[in-house]
Amino acid sequence: MLKTLKTTVVSLTITTLVLFSSSVVAGKFDDVTLRVATWGGLWKGNIEENIVPKFEAEGGKVEFITGSPAANFAKIIAARGEAPFDVVEILAAQVKDYHELDVLHELDLQLIPNTKFLASNRYNESVVGSWETQEVICYHKDKFAEEGIPVPTTYRDLVHPKISSRLLFPDINSGGGLPGLAGVAFAEGGDETNIQPGLKLVTEMNVLKFWARGGESMAQFESGDIIAAVVHAGWCLRSKTRAGQNVASVHPRINDELVGVASEGWFGVMKNSKNVEAAQWYINEFISADYQLKMATQTGLVPVNQSVFEEMAKDPIVAEMLVLDPEKVSNQLRIDYSKVIISDWTDQWNRAIAAQ
Amino acid sequence: MWVRWWILLIPPLVVGFTLVAASQFIFLRVSFFQDLGLGRIGDEVVIENYVRFLTDGFYLKILWVTVKTSALAALSTLILGFPVAYLIARMRSSWSMILLAGIVVSTFVTIVIKVYGLIVIFSADGLFNQTMLKLGLFDRPFSVFGNETGVVIGLMHFTLGFGVLLLYSIIQTIPSSLESAAQIHGASRWRVYYRVIFPLSLPGVTAMLLMVFNMCMGAFTSAALLGGGRVFTLPVMIQRIVMMDIKYSMGATIAAVLLFSVIVINVLSIYLLRRLRAAHLVMV
Repeated sequence: MLKTLKTTVVSLTITTLVLFSSSVVAGKFDDVTLRVATWGGLWKGNIEENIVPKFEAEGGKVEFITGSPAANFAKIIAARGEAPFDVVEILAAQVKDYHELDVLHELDLQLIPNTKFLASNRYNESVVGSWETQEVICYHKDKFAEEGIPVPTTYRDLVHPKISSRLLFPDINSGGGLPGLAGVAFAEGGDETNIQPGLKLVTEMNVLKFWARGGESMAQFESGDIIAAVVHAGWCLRSKTRAGQNVASVHPRINDELVGVASEGWFGVMKNSKNVEAAQWYINEFISADYQLKMATQTGLVPVNQSVFEEMAKDPIVAEMLVLDPEKVSNQLRIDYSKVIISDWTDQWNRAIAAQ
Repeated sequence: MWVRWWILLIPPLVVGFTLVAASQFIFLRVSFFQDLGLGRIGDEVVIENYVRFLTDGFYLKILWVTVKTSALAALSTLILGFPVAYLIARMRSSWSMILLAGIVVSTFVTIVIKVYGLIVIFSADGLFNQTMLKLGLFDRPFSVFGNETGVVIGLMHFTLGFGVLLLYSIIQTIPSSLESAAQIHGASRWRVYYRVIFPLSLPGVTAMLLMVFNMCMGAFTSAALLGGGRVFTLPVMIQRIVMMDIKYSMGATIAAVLLFSVIVINVLSIYLLRRLRAAHLVMV
């Protein structure tokens, strides 16, 4: 009898302890699978290395749906708004389309406290800024010196017989396409409603190819196919640090007031998401000082979290490639996408390039 | 007992037909509606997409570039593939099987890998350009990027293995005794090719040309990777319009035009060949 009682007490104690301990270690996101639509490669690798372990420690799991923002937007449309992901990377040019389709969940900014480190125009109740890029002319210092080609300071300087057919420019459909085209359009006296001057300059440049992925510039600097590329500074930085090319970046003069072109990335949470809280946690982690610093120094993107600017400037290569002085950053060209009819830009681009 | 074996063919026939016909029907149907932007399609049946395609020089030029590069790639495949296929078909050693196996294996290699192979070979610092520059044959490197020549090379690289296999099977059906007979009667080697082998293989060669041409007309990867955003073919344009502009109707229209162009060109080629046969200009 006593033995039975003892066994019962021990069993109950163990059961209680197990239940208690499991409730103590239970994560905030137990059994949650967060689906993130983002780029692959180094971009995804950084997230897997730095953010995913923290999410897994909370009991959740992250699945990636890799693709360009344009491809991810096409998936939303094909699925009639029922996106196969919870959180998505959005390009500045796409924000108005997301709003028009009304597919974004309203954000609870209390759950994204790191927004306090962002500029006030980089977050609102539907999207939160994730990164910025600076579109530059990346050129091979040795080749330019060897061949006596003057260092370009404007896009027009790329119209040069020794650069002809040895230059990459972003395709209109690539991530750098719209800011790239806007840059040349503004530099040649055009604007969001008149890109013809820019298209004329692009055809005069006689580029080797229009890149679909910025990584192509790294490979083609290495193979000797190109000596210059219009890319965002991150690709120039990676050509230097990862591909070992002696390249430098120039922030092209646009007009008397503007130097350089900036482009923005955003995060949105899908309206059909069942993991809104987890998605907001993810965004908060992404814009944390710790992650933004790692991302920025490795990829050459500009962080949205302004608290890391000073730390970033300590990296000599980053400081050489990027403009980190807030005053100079504010003098970079930013496109007003509310004035842009993207399908019209694309159509004009296709016709100009096909007519070459 | 009489067994109706043909009944067994019905399920795969129905599945195959449904899969092919349903997809063709869907995009053909979509092509008759208006694009309203962001993937939305109008309710009214219209033919404006077709009118736009057929009256806009931009689209007609893309159709012409697609036909031209595909035809050139098919012709190049024939010119390069025929001697190789002939050599293997007439070989008496075990090397013929080894070479044939090599060609079969090469057709299994994914097109992306093949294209990247070309990119490495033809890069400015690559073997081809460095050799040509050292020999003084080129004054600047030749690039496969961003030009129609590069796209034709890429398409030909994609279809060459397949073309050689087809030509091999055609040449094998021509008895070598006919060549010997012609030579015994004083024909030169060139004359044997011109008057015996080529005419006898012509129907098969035509079939091979059409198959390769059809493959090239629908090829996306070579044109996209080597065209470098400068060479627009119909498949590249479909991808740009569907994936980037999200204009499903116009994309479907271009796909329909591509399909009908291929059908028309094939039918015309077969008709022409028949006329030539009827006029005894071609031996069969």
